[in-house]
Amino acid sequence: MNRHHTVSRGVAMFAALALAAGCVSGADPAGSGAPSDTLRYVAVGAAASATNDPHGGILNQSDLVRFALTYDVLAKPGADGETELRLAESITPDAALTHWTVRLRTDATFTDGQPVAAADVLFSLRRLHTKSAENFGRMQMFDLDAAKVVDQHTVELVTTKPYAEVPRALESVTFVVPDATTDFTKPVVGSGPFRMTGGTPEAAVLERNDRWWGSAPALRRVEIRAVADPQARAQAVLSGQADVAASVNPATAKQVDGNAEFAVVHREAITLYPFVMRLDQPPFDDNRVRAAVKLAADREALVDKVFLGYGRTGNDLITPADPSSPDLPARTRDLDRARQLLADAGHADGLTLTLHTTTSYPGMDTAALLFAEQLGEIGIDVEVKTAPPDTYWTEVWGKEAFYVGFFGGIPFLDVARVSLLSGGPTNETGWQRPDWDAGFDAALATADPAERTRMLGALQTTLRDEGGYLVWGAGDGLDLTRTGVDGLPTGPGFESSFIERTRLTA
Amino acid sequence: MPRLLARSALVLAAVAVLVFLATALLPTDAARARTGGRAGAADLAALRAELGLDRPLWTRIAGWATGLVRGDLGTSLVSGRPVADLLGARLPATLALMAAAALVAVPLLLVGAWAAGRRPRTAAPVLVAVAAVPQVVVAAGLVAVFAGALRWFPAVSFVPVSGSVWDRPSSLVLPAVALAVPAAAFGAGLLGGAVADALALPHVRAARVRGLPEPLILVRHVLPRLVPASLRVTTLVAAGMLASSALVETVFGYAGLGELLVGAVSTGDSPVVQAIAVLSGAVVVVCLAVADVAARSR
Repeated sequence: MNRHHTVSRGVAMFAALALAAGCVSGADPAGSGAPSDTLRYVAVGAAASATNDPHGGILNQSDLVRFALTYDVLAKPGADGETELRLAESITPDAALTHWTVRLRTDATFTDGQPVAAADVLFSLRRLHTKSAENFGRMQMFDLDAAKVVDQHTVELVTTKPYAEVPRALESVTFVVPDATTDFTKPVVGSGPFRMTGGTPEAAVLERNDRWWGSAPALRRVEIRAVADPQARAQAVLSGQADVAASVNPATAKQVDGNAEFAVVHREAITLYPFVMRLDQPPFDDNRVRAAVKLAADREALVDKVFLGYGRTGNDLITPADPSSPDLPARTRDLDRARQLLADAGHADGLTLTLHTTTSYPGMDTAALLFAEQLGEIGIDVEVKTAPPDTYWTEVWGKEAFYVGFFGGIPFLDVARVSLLSGGPTNETGWQRPDWDAGFDAALATADPAERTRMLGALQTTLRDEGGYLVWGAGDGLDLTRTGVDGLPTGPGFESSFIERTRLTA
Repeated sequence: MPRLLARSALVLAAVAVLVFLATALLPTDAARARTGGRAGAADLAALRAELGLDRPLWTRIAGWATGLVRGDLGTSLVSGRPVADLLGARLPATLALMAAAALVAVPLLLVGAWAAGRRPRTAAPVLVAVAAVPQVVVAAGLVAVFAGALRWFPAVSFVPVSGSVWDRPSSLVLPAVALAVPAAAFGAGLLGGAVADALALPHVRAARVRGLPEPLILVRHVLPRLVPASLRVTTLVAAGMLASSALVETVFGYAGLGELLVGAVSTGDSPVVQAIAVLSGAVVVVCLAVADVAARSR
């Protein structure tokens, strides 16, 4: 900074403070004439964890959205729940479902002009695999040493076991970077619909990449800003400093209800705060106790109080938004049956429990307090203990017998891999079932999609009736926009990161 | 002078070590943060080893200190970005906020001190009360009135994505006032005593009895005596504002060092926490030293 600038900035500040009252801010001048082609998007994230590495642990939604705009993925989840191919033109197996041929589009180029080739794809997948611990073992089903480049636009992938859902495995963060990239401290070139032209990872400026292979986005420019506080994100839209605020509190959605200046986009039924019971700790090592607790839940009341009605009741199915989630009659409250089950389990005189919770996500503490009251009606005396978010996920989550968990729009195959299979890294309920594991492998070795879906559904039904998750409801993801923002994604999970089709109509 | 320098260096070294220990005592660490808490024990241990978190604490402190001496602040354990880049991107915003806050705080401080010196019984309790209000509460009140009801200033103070905070200076006003008001009240309370002492001096009382105009008394007799004390108090006020900036920046979504610090603490990102803590510590130590020298040279 040179001296001239320092002086003029000093003057500017003086002017600002002296003329404070006259210096009205408020809505940026977007009102006159044609709609703007710049989208100002405020995402969930903290500057301290904003990263340029698309393959490691991505803690910020702001980074995920930026990567989804600047890199190509092999495939993404479609709005209809089916796999939507992107960089991949086809993903086809051999008869054994272990060797998969991924054919790539031939018209993709990185923004530095280099074509996107099979070697780039394989390099990116392998790099993703080396960061397995940070991305929940995304590539765990593959033997990537055995994978090979067949030709310029074809990769052959090999799975460790028959795995019929390879397209689903690839419809995730398979962000493709140039082969042999080593420096991820700075933004790395991509081939997606946008390119980063300025700013920082936590406040980025993206411009449309006119050489992208897909149909051109309506937006010319996207600004993505990471803001940690949900209230501050909402304020940004309410005060006209942003067009979209991702993930606002239900209370904010209520507040703007009926206001013509703003709209709320619902991403349906993606936020889960299940009550988690560990199967390896008493009294939950007895399924009659787990069943009684599940029958004691007044699910409507929980959805009304915790999500302020923005959501739907749950049926103890761990991934209600997943296409493989079975359609079963709803589990309803049955206090008599619950008391009977408790008595059968030897707790006719009642039971004393501690339910742990935290305040990481809005309503987690409310859920615990309300459920404690509900359990009182079947003779279970519950003490609610609230731990600060800093210690909860390390000292309570996955350790205590009874606590409030969290899932946010994760597909069933991912939950199974991370939290349910015997070898999974964080089996938080202590679900150890060799027959269930075998059923999982059998489903993935089944080529027929309808039959496979039926088998995966049966696994979820077993888990619902015998497992340690009480899924009482699923809250909507709520994104606040100013009026005139159309085409934001409404799907669960990773699909919601693809905002390229958004357009501004006012 | 050499003693002063040695003392300052010692204080700074103590700050660095204490902050390192405090960061190590946090319930989370960068490896846990990076895995989102959903990695197995073996994976977690491997990542800890990769990040150097398995080394003894003193080796990590020594490694960090040798880096610092070479001018290398290291890289973030969470994002892998160079710490110098992170700080460089945010320092201007925090400096701007501190400058704006000082512009508000110093006049308030002097007026408050004068009032407290003249009428200790009525002014002092008011100052104590104002100083006791947390900055976050002041911020919430300011937002409710000036952003919510009057719509004079924005409720969030975003630094423009391309450009600097000076492109939208009005966004500085509320965070600056939120920082300045409690700090100035605290400082005025401290300085009020010195004002009262000065007013009680025989020649000042004589001047007042002679009917000299108050501003003249203030400039000729009171202010010169207050210089050393006000330098010290101003330093304290500045340090207090620097410390509170973390919360105020977070409330306003203002992209400064304080907001970065809050995020880095929550992920156990020790190189980032270290760098910000030592930088802030250095600023305070230097200000105190300057105040010391100035006071002694009179």
